[in-house]
Amino acid sequence: MSEPSPPPAAAQRIALVDVNSFYVSCERAFDPKLAGVPVVVLSNNDGCVVARSDEAKALGIKTGTPWFKLAESAPRVGLIQRSSNYELYGDLSSRVMELLGRYALWQEVYSIDESFLGLAGTPRDLEAQGATIRTAVARHTGLPVCVGIGTTKTLAKFANRIAKQNRHLQGVCNLETMDPAAVEAIMSRVPVTGLWGVGSRLGTKLDAMGISTVADLRAADPALIRRKFSVTLQRTVLELNGTACIPHEDERADRKQLIFSRSFSTPVTTGAEMRQVMSIYAQQAAARLEREGQQASILTAYAGTSHFSERAASFPSATVRLPSPTSDPVVLSRAAVGALESQVVEGVPYTKAGVMLSGLESAGAQPLFEEFVSAQERRNLGELLGKVTDKYGAASIGLGLAGMSTATPEWTMSRRYSSPRYTTEWSELPVVKAV
Amino acid sequence: MAVFSADRSRRPAPPSESDAATAAGFPSPARDYFDGRIDLNRHLIRDPTSTYVVRVEGDSMAGTGICNGDELIVDRSLTPRDGAVVVAVVDGELTVRRLLLGGQRIVLRAESPGYPDILVAEPSELSVWGVVTRCLHHV
Repeated sequence: MSEPSPPPAAAQRIALVDVNSFYVSCERAFDPKLAGVPVVVLSNNDGCVVARSDEAKALGIKTGTPWFKLAESAPRVGLIQRSSNYELYGDLSSRVMELLGRYALWQEVYSIDESFLGLAGTPRDLEAQGATIRTAVARHTGLPVCVGIGTTKTLAKFANRIAKQNRHLQGVCNLETMDPAAVEAIMSRVPVTGLWGVGSRLGTKLDAMGISTVADLRAADPALIRRKFSVTLQRTVLELNGTACIPHEDERADRKQLIFSRSFSTPVTTGAEMRQVMSIYAQQAAARLEREGQQASILTAYAGTSHFSERAASFPSATVRLPSPTSDPVVLSRAAVGALESQVVEGVPYTKAGVMLSGLESAGAQPLFEEFVSAQERRNLGELLGKVTDKYGAASIGLGLAGMSTATPEWTMSRRYSSPRYTTEWSELPVVKAV
Repeated sequence: MAVFSADRSRRPAPPSESDAATAAGFPSPARDYFDGRIDLNRHLIRDPTSTYVVRVEGDSMAGTGICNGDELIVDRSLTPRDGAVVVAVVDGELTVRRLLLGGQRIVLRAESPGYPDILVAEPSELSVWGVVTRCLHHV
């Protein structure tokens, strides 16, 4: 690597930190036997593969493969399967996000396992910060992360990809400390679909125009791209050339999860306000699920104070399993409000809050247990949402899952290969041997 | 973490001193908002991002008051020191033992008669999952 010259001064940069094979890594964090062996995590009802360890990828197993096709040969190839354990993933996600926030000027939680961070420093210094972050997450949670650093979100994402694919970088890649010729070479090699936000359909169209690699797109005319495609792709071109123009999004969705989060210009300081915030997010999320024809099985609610606040620090978060997979605004609101209720400290100035829905599946895949209840309650929706103030939160509103409750969900989804809910259920704590 | 669901107070650590700050623990700036009840989270959890509760199976640590069925509070971010009670990975199992670093060999010692030492041949083979900070003993 050649030192850039003249030595650049300290500057603000963007880092994208994400957990490698997140679901699998969560399973491994509590089960040392899973280290180094092929592991897959299965979708709701143990239907198909949603996450793979590197070893499972090496066996040629693809995401989406139905489990029944793998079941027979699994013992022979040493493949281990786990049902998705979203309570565990949600809790570990909120730990990672809280920890990452401590190292950043600003933070945008992008998905269950990735976050953009604002960092400042000289290029070498930023690289060291990346290494510090990586070590901290590993020490606190046992999860491996990669850190990509660049001048824009798109470049940070791209740097993260380089960090993942080049072991010698030890999980951290700052594009600015790399040899520019090496970056150029990688960009000319990586297909355009390797970029953030460029899917395979878009890739095919670009290919037809002779734009097949990242380097090709970077060299494209932004105005032309806007005319032929969209403002979104124009932004990608600009970002590849170092102009940051992708704004912070309050609402993000993909196949795995849906996130609503926001920073408040005026802090939220009362439980009543926080209940409103949670209720609004949940209703927005419900509308979005409805539009996409999806249902969620797990809800994570979180809030936090500013890391620069001298007055108070509080980072409540809770993950609850819903009574059944749902897109019902009533059920989601109750869950979001109730989950966080007992943890919000009255008077503390919260500057951000969010709701994340995970364990998504197509509507109709599950019977709806709560339909009848909801029809009754929809009539006095507003009143209901304002009244959920029982100190036992979720448990009191029939979600018997949060906190100390020992009730089991009425939702008997097949989760035959599930690991314990190590961090959210008192009856399922990790066992340590004293032998 | 739903089990410990009160506020998770701590002061942010500047990255450059993160380890020092972590080792010192975070005083609670939210104390001004305290409503008067004892909050175990505040006293027993130094950092909620790295703290886990585990359950003990077996009696090899009974001599130090850690008995079958007890819960332990474990902080994964602490550096294991000589004499610390740790959760270590032994043959793929999470195992609770006292860590002795002072001798010729690294030793994971039990605290009851009849349980032989586990010797760790090389420092690189020692895998400490976390450091035990409290035992919630059932009386």
